[in-house]
Amino acid sequence: MSTNSPSGFRTEPWRVLIFYIAAALVFSMLIFRLFNLQVLEGGNWLVSAEDNYTREISVPSSRGIIYDRNGVILARNVASYNVVITPAYLPDDQADIERVYRELSEIIAVPVNSGTVDDAKLFAACVPGPGIAQLVELGDSLAPYTPVPVSCDVDEKTARIVRERSVGWPGVSMQIDPIRDYPTGSLTANIIGFLGPIPATQVDLYEELGFVAGRDKIGYAGVESTLQDILAGTNGKRVIEVDVAGQELRNLEAPIEPVAGRNVRLSIDVRLQRAAEGVLLNEIEGWNAYFGQVRISSGVTIAMNPKTGEILAMVSYPTYENNRFARFIPAYYYQQLSEDSRNPLLNNAISSEYPPGSVFKLSTATGALNEGVVTVDQTIYAPGQLILTEKFSPNDPGRERPFVDWIYDEQPEGFGEINFLRCIAFSSNVCFYKLGGGYEDEIPEGLGILRLGEYARALGYGEPSGIELPGETDGLIPSPQWKRINQGENWSTGDTYIASVGQGYVLATPLQVLMSGATIANDGGLMQPTVVREELDDEGRLLKPFEPHLKWDITETPLITNFDCDGGYCIEMETKSAVDPFVVEQVQTGMRLAVTDTLHGTLNKIFGDFPIAVAGKTGTAEYCDDVALAANRCTFGNWPTHSWTLAYAPFEDPEIVIMAFMYNGGEGASVAGPVVGRVMEAYFELKAIDLAEGGGN
Amino acid sequence: MLKNLSWRHFDFWLLGAVVLAIAFGIAMIDSAVAGNAELADYPNRQAIFAGIGLVVILLVATIDYNYWLVLYRPMYGVMMVLLIFLFMSARAVFGAARWFRVGVIFIQPTELAKLVVILILARYFDKTKNEPRDLRWIISSLLWTMGLTIWILLQPNLSNVIVIIVIWIAMLWMSGLQLKHLVSFAIGGFALVTAAFPFLQEYQQQRVLTFIFPDPNATYGETYNIQQALIAIGSGSWLGKGYGHGSQVQLRFLKVRHTDFIFSAISEEFGFVGALIVIATLAFILWRCIRAARLARDTSGAMIAFGVATLIFFQGAVNIAVNLNLIPVSGLPLPFISYGGSGLLSLMLGVGLVESVVMRHKLTEF
Repeated sequence: MSTNSPSGFRTEPWRVLIFYIAAALVFSMLIFRLFNLQVLEGGNWLVSAEDNYTREISVPSSRGIIYDRNGVILARNVASYNVVITPAYLPDDQADIERVYRELSEIIAVPVNSGTVDDAKLFAACVPGPGIAQLVELGDSLAPYTPVPVSCDVDEKTARIVRERSVGWPGVSMQIDPIRDYPTGSLTANIIGFLGPIPATQVDLYEELGFVAGRDKIGYAGVESTLQDILAGTNGKRVIEVDVAGQELRNLEAPIEPVAGRNVRLSIDVRLQRAAEGVLLNEIEGWNAYFGQVRISSGVTIAMNPKTGEILAMVSYPTYENNRFARFIPAYYYQQLSEDSRNPLLNNAISSEYPPGSVFKLSTATGALNEGVVTVDQTIYAPGQLILTEKFSPNDPGRERPFVDWIYDEQPEGFGEINFLRCIAFSSNVCFYKLGGGYEDEIPEGLGILRLGEYARALGYGEPSGIELPGETDGLIPSPQWKRINQGENWSTGDTYIASVGQGYVLATPLQVLMSGATIANDGGLMQPTVVREELDDEGRLLKPFEPHLKWDITETPLITNFDCDGGYCIEMETKSAVDPFVVEQVQTGMRLAVTDTLHGTLNKIFGDFPIAVAGKTGTAEYCDDVALAANRCTFGNWPTHSWTLAYAPFEDPEIVIMAFMYNGGEGASVAGPVVGRVMEAYFELKAIDLAEGGGN
Repeated sequence: MLKNLSWRHFDFWLLGAVVLAIAFGIAMIDSAVAGNAELADYPNRQAIFAGIGLVVILLVATIDYNYWLVLYRPMYGVMMVLLIFLFMSARAVFGAARWFRVGVIFIQPTELAKLVVILILARYFDKTKNEPRDLRWIISSLLWTMGLTIWILLQPNLSNVIVIIVIWIAMLWMSGLQLKHLVSFAIGGFALVTAAFPFLQEYQQQRVLTFIFPDPNATYGETYNIQQALIAIGSGSWLGKGYGHGSQVQLRFLKVRHTDFIFSAISEEFGFVGALIVIATLAFILWRCIRAARLARDTSGAMIAFGVATLIFFQGAVNIAVNLNLIPVSGLPLPFISYGGSGLLSLMLGVGLVESVVMRHKLTEF
């Protein structure tokens, strides 16, 4: 080719060559880049591609249902329908999005626009207020593929309409949220508890177990918390292929089906629970109305089968409405509950400790008789008050101090000469001071605080019972060592005297008081208190039948550490012993006498005419806590008192033991006593109904 | 003229490569639109356009390209009217309009305008082949170009303006542009681009900015499409995932996979080897066009073939470079392969012109 051919100008070859070189350079660059991406980095990109279409879905397991002993539902799952919008799946065109919002808005009655996105940030999920567009815009800026709830808990009809029409609304879908429902609400709230979100501090722990933080809830209180592992089941897992719209196409791995939580049948009889609650509230309101002020601020009543440890009813007043926590925990309600000085969220039956007062005398009585401090034939002189010497050390000359009996005000001369059984039946403080601390030649060697502690622990005091409820406290059985450490003071003789009647430093939970009575009633066998009876599967098949668990039998298990005592000072020995069954029998007889003795029997007025033989013990426990101190009541002779009563029946073959406690209730027999009496009545009435129907447990 | 027509010199290699590319494109479009009912007839439509295009190639090949150059005035005028009309109607709907709707067919005059510019410039460089390559010569050619291009710039359609500018520079180069002018153009062009940046449309600025400074937080929207394209290409590896088996394509993670990002779709399903074949096909077509230019009987023929070669090469390279995230997103289709009737037809018209050139080359030069 020449540049000067006849037809004229021709492109110079070097210009074409440069063009070729430029093109070759460009193509080489493209190929180099292509090689880098596809061959060198191919593996990484393949992982990204797989990430794109692989989605791991945690399939929630359904939480177990909680029944009462007769199959009444106490906790279940109900469906709640939420209308959700996944921002990423909305149509591309703004006009289409507006159409979806408009049409949806007409059905769910949430405005398309309301407020600004900044306003929407202030609202928790599901709280009405922001418009659809604001909610979605906010959600889009946070996580476009996470569904944003625009209307929660819509009725079934709306849910159906939205589901049908959502075919034409990309991005809109229905979400079914199981929420926990407690048909018995506040009646059983203290036992059942409630659910809450997985706390931030425990997210790792629960995620390892397959839970999904933010979706799955865990038990926060009651058996919902303690039986969490049984009720929750195991979430399933599916690895699926999705397209860009998030539409599920197929399983990439064999799905792991969720394992439903087990259903649980509690030992609670909700009928008795209701009766007990009614009785307790009625009594509290009655007295408060009588005094014209809120005098009794809280109360507890528990009913248990002493032979099996099954709790039939456990009422702690005040309580809360756990259904209000079903969807989320409302801040204002939670705050209201936690600021209430009566602490409604606390199950007073196990989480509060009080001086047990005279019901604690069962420990002293058992110990004194078993250790030979006293014999059943011995008579003890019980005047209205006893002047005793308070000594802080053996060489302390001491200080005289009066120790009064409860009868002192109405009968200053006291009970006079009484035997061991009447000491229990009359609940004579003076008698128990003597048994506990010794008195001159009459009781030369008292039981002493160390040995008293041994018997109290044997009856269930001083440590958590191990019931399936969270937040149990252990009570307090004081010892000289404890006092030195915690009070910085030597143990005094007076401390032993008042501990013998359940005062002073002794503290117990209402459940422990119940256990002490149940142990005596069950001839020394301490059954593990339980609220759980059986575990069932979906179809009601028994997975774990109920087996009563004997914690120990004080007449067989050597629990009592022996002490070598002399002059009120005891040395611990290596040996341990059990309680003579005869001793338990005598304490039972003493408790029976409290009902049958018409003269001073503390429970005679309440159970004297009861058709079934009842035995029991009352308690009027002086206390001085923050509330009493504030009311300036902590002065001698003016101390406020808690009211306790413990009773079991039938005496010959006990099947029910009931206790009641009234905070600041006053005299045990007249305030807590009627509660126990009426719950007892309710129990036997229900039993009669069950027998008539041929069923029942 | 027709009686001298010799099909012996018709470049069947060029036609074969083009037909191969189009057929491959249709197959790829078919794979890309799978599962999308709205786009289900796109492969058929593309095939129909291809059929029309083949007729166009044969028809245009039979007509001497110099006849078109004679008609440069009406051609230029009609094109300008179309572009002005397009610009005005776009103003009326407050947005960029790039096509006219005729029945069910959308016509993009811009695609045709690129060919008209090639013809106009071919005539100009033919007429001025003996004039000195001075600034006047350059500026006159630029004025001819800008007479049409200005309306495309106003649409605004920056990518096609750049395509035309590149064609103009390439044709200038082939017509003997002086090196000193080229260098000063490069410097001046850079300065102009820098100065013009603030005047770009916001979305255009955004495209450039997201390319130069990728926002680490912008995982959706702006960088989403290109990220998905890279995943598609990268995960294709050596041989690809197989036709119809690319997860990025079939599960629709890859957007505009039948047009702008069809190269990514090919790379995913056919791998490095498939992508290389596409690039090789383009290179082959480019070579055949330049061969036609060098065989051309006259300057106008050579310039037409050079122009069409540049058009095909530049559009292809830009499209692939966008897919590979080497340059900002431009919206230029992959020649012969991407879906789009107007684009395909005007490229085939271009191929027809090249065939017309090569069929009439001087036998003595062979």
